[in-house]
Amino acid sequence: MDLCFRSLKAQTWGINKPSSQRSSSTHIRLFYRYRDLAPQLVPLDYTNHPDVKLPYELIGSMPELKDNPFRQRIAEVFSEDGEGNMTLDNFLDMFSVLSEMAPRDLKAYYAFKIYDFNNDDFICKSDLEKTLNKLTRNELTEDEVKMVCEKVIDEADLDNDGRLSLEDFQHMINRAPDFLSTFHIRI
Amino acid sequence: MTIEQQRQGLAFSGSGHPTDQESLRFRRVSSRMSTQIYHEPNSSTSLAQEEEQSGSEPTLELRNTVFPMALKKAARQVQQMQVPAQFNGGSWKQKRIKFVRQFKSNVREFLYFFSLWGKTLQKIGGNFGGGVQSYFIFLRFLVILNFVSFLLIAGFVLIPSIVFRSVGIKPESSKADVSSECLKYDPNPQGLVVFYEFFLDLLSGTGFMEYSYLFYGYYNNSVIVTSLVGSHFSYNIPLAYLLTAVFYFAFCLICIIVRMGKAARVAVTTGGSDVRSYSMIVFTGWDYGCLGSKATKLKQRNIYYRLQVDLEEERLKKHAASLTLCNKVTLHSLRVLMFFVAVGLIVATFLAIARATTFSQENSHVPGILGLFYTYLPSIVITLGNFLVPLLCDQIALLEKYPPSATVVVALLRAVVLRLVSLGILLFTLWKQIMCHDSRDKCNLCHYNHEDYQCWETSVGQEMYKLTLFDLLVSIALLVLVEFPRRMVVDHWSCKLTQWVGRQEFVVPSNVLGLVYGQTVVWTGALFCPLLPLINTVKFVILFYCKKITLFYNCRPALRTFRSTSSAIFFLAVLLFGWILALVVMIYSVAVIHPSFACGPFRSFFRMWKIVPESFSTLPEGARDFLFFIGSQAFSIPLFAISCVFMCYFIALASIYGKSVAMLRAQLKLAGQDKQFLVKQIEKMKPLSPQHNEGEQD
Repeated sequence: MDLCFRSLKAQTWGINKPSSQRSSSTHIRLFYRYRDLAPQLVPLDYTNHPDVKLPYELIGSMPELKDNPFRQRIAEVFSEDGEGNMTLDNFLDMFSVLSEMAPRDLKAYYAFKIYDFNNDDFICKSDLEKTLNKLTRNELTEDEVKMVCEKVIDEADLDNDGRLSLEDFQHMINRAPDFLSTFHIRI
Repeated sequence: MTIEQQRQGLAFSGSGHPTDQESLRFRRVSSRMSTQIYHEPNSSTSLAQEEEQSGSEPTLELRNTVFPMALKKAARQVQQMQVPAQFNGGSWKQKRIKFVRQFKSNVREFLYFFSLWGKTLQKIGGNFGGGVQSYFIFLRFLVILNFVSFLLIAGFVLIPSIVFRSVGIKPESSKADVSSECLKYDPNPQGLVVFYEFFLDLLSGTGFMEYSYLFYGYYNNSVIVTSLVGSHFSYNIPLAYLLTAVFYFAFCLICIIVRMGKAARVAVTTGGSDVRSYSMIVFTGWDYGCLGSKATKLKQRNIYYRLQVDLEEERLKKHAASLTLCNKVTLHSLRVLMFFVAVGLIVATFLAIARATTFSQENSHVPGILGLFYTYLPSIVITLGNFLVPLLCDQIALLEKYPPSATVVVALLRAVVLRLVSLGILLFTLWKQIMCHDSRDKCNLCHYNHEDYQCWETSVGQEMYKLTLFDLLVSIALLVLVEFPRRMVVDHWSCKLTQWVGRQEFVVPSNVLGLVYGQTVVWTGALFCPLLPLINTVKFVILFYCKKITLFYNCRPALRTFRSTSSAIFFLAVLLFGWILALVVMIYSVAVIHPSFACGPFRSFFRMWKIVPESFSTLPEGARDFLFFIGSQAFSIPLFAISCVFMCYFIALASIYGKSVAMLRAQLKLAGQDKQFLVKQIEKMKPLSPQHNEGEQD
């Protein structure tokens, strides 16, 4: 079974990470984590690229994700069908982007997609309101939420269209020194 | 490079990916340029840039793309098919780049293994946040600084002294023309020493500790010049002592400035902590690595609190803008009144310290525990003042009603002034006593107060030693007697009072000021107590572990986070201020006060500084001429002119970077507007195109 996974790794991780001993053990570890979520669904042999999708409920119950208020959005962004049901590729993609090796631009792109609740490639006021409510457990009042959303759009919107595009978001992220360390899940 | 990117982008967009991914690639060049200018410390992006510039992009570009896994696999297969054509030229470069990258990451891992307390700092940062972690990083910096300084002093002063003393070289008595009164110095106690006096001596630096390598008085003014056959060994201990002290100060200054430079770079990159604070909190505030429902709730409350603080400031600003003239006048007069009250409190503390120091010096010969209390009286008064006055100033701040960020800054400034100037007052009082400003007659014989201070440098060294020791003892005592019991009481006995008091919070600013105070004491005392850096290293190591224990067992995670980026510069600036204070003391001791006749390496000199011109005259002709030339105007004026030129160059460079940042921002804005315009055009064209296709088919 290690051979099957190594062949998979050679095709995919050769382009994502430097092929070191350390990273191959990480991939094998991730595969076993994926399999542990549903051992009866996930086969050990991946050479024939079986089409196995784990439902969102299983992904969302992982200890690394289950308390994260954005877990649903994370699963939706990285899944192929957009509903949160992830294949092994999606799973590996997710933890690859959330690892410490991923470059800043890649993380910023996916962070943008996570905060874009209506998937219209812009973070508009309603997206911001939903983000804020998730961040503060709905403890801010309506006025406070409005004030913060206005301030955020004032600060980050460069092209003055009242919503944040990917470029605005990336420009702002470039000025955040701790974005890389906060957008990081240890697994 | 851009054209290749575009081609690749177009080649892989077959399976219906949205067009903004291609536009992402167009933007990639400009965003990379902006990251270059912002000096990003991210290693993988900079490595990717390096590889881009060396021309081996195709394989590694895929790593940075946002295509899903299956598409990357397909892309990789296509590239592997293309590989034989590029094999000869590309592979050696790629191998070299891979090797360099592996080597760099291995070296980095190796060095990280050796970095002191690395894992502990990570744990602290993960559990308590960046502000608390910055305190411990600062503490680690001070430990290493003190240890390296000790190595310096040991190498140049301590070890030669030990060697010469063990060889049996006797000190030369002072050749100056003074009465034998001034040459009297007998620090060793007469008769049997009672056991408890051992502890008293240990704590106050007298008795057996006074005449030891710990203090200035023990060092000899030996100047060894041997001219054996084949070897010319000479060592001038007084000169070594003075130059080591000067070099120690210079070394500390360089370390602080280098560190400030690093912190300033980060602050400039992020544009300061006040700008874009809302968007930073919203988009980068959430730590995805947060595990557990308790930690998550805490993080959410933390973010809520941070937003509340900023919103509160907004509300206060609006409120202040809407005040009537009468209200404004009352508020400002209240603030002026409270300012005078705070100044009055601080001045009262200074007077208390001066009085305590005078009293302590007058009663220094009282034996026993009472004598110990009297010798520690200045330290006790300083510690009490530093504890009580900030508490009172906090209450005053409630009346002043500044906005929250201004309140924090004002409180910090008051605490800094209190701590450092109280130390200055202590030193000033000591100096007054040594130079007999009150009773002129004591100083007529030996130019200093030889009756009370047979070896005044050792006395000053003893004061600094006592301050350091008392600081450590108070920290440990607070830990054992206040913090642990507080936690036990709060955890096991729930009533309203304990709920209100609650578990302790780790307050970063006052702890950092404590560190700065301790380091300033060491700098002031290093000339008089050469082993003080070693004692301070041990003290800070003990303090690190004590604070770590209290953090993990007694403290709750703070609701109020401390902004670490701008504060790093603030703490280093305060440390620099302490350094300047210590420098003033050193310059005064070296150049103005007459060294003791009875002890120390400078006993036969008029001023400590005089050793330098004297040894200057023993230098060979060529070296002397060279040094004279460096000091002359013919050298310094061109040097000044050249440094002006360099400064202008750097200012010009900085302004150019600022302008290009503004230009790139405008470019991004324009690009966004272009995109919107193109999208609108496409939408306009859409109704036309089906008709056009139909027309073509026909």
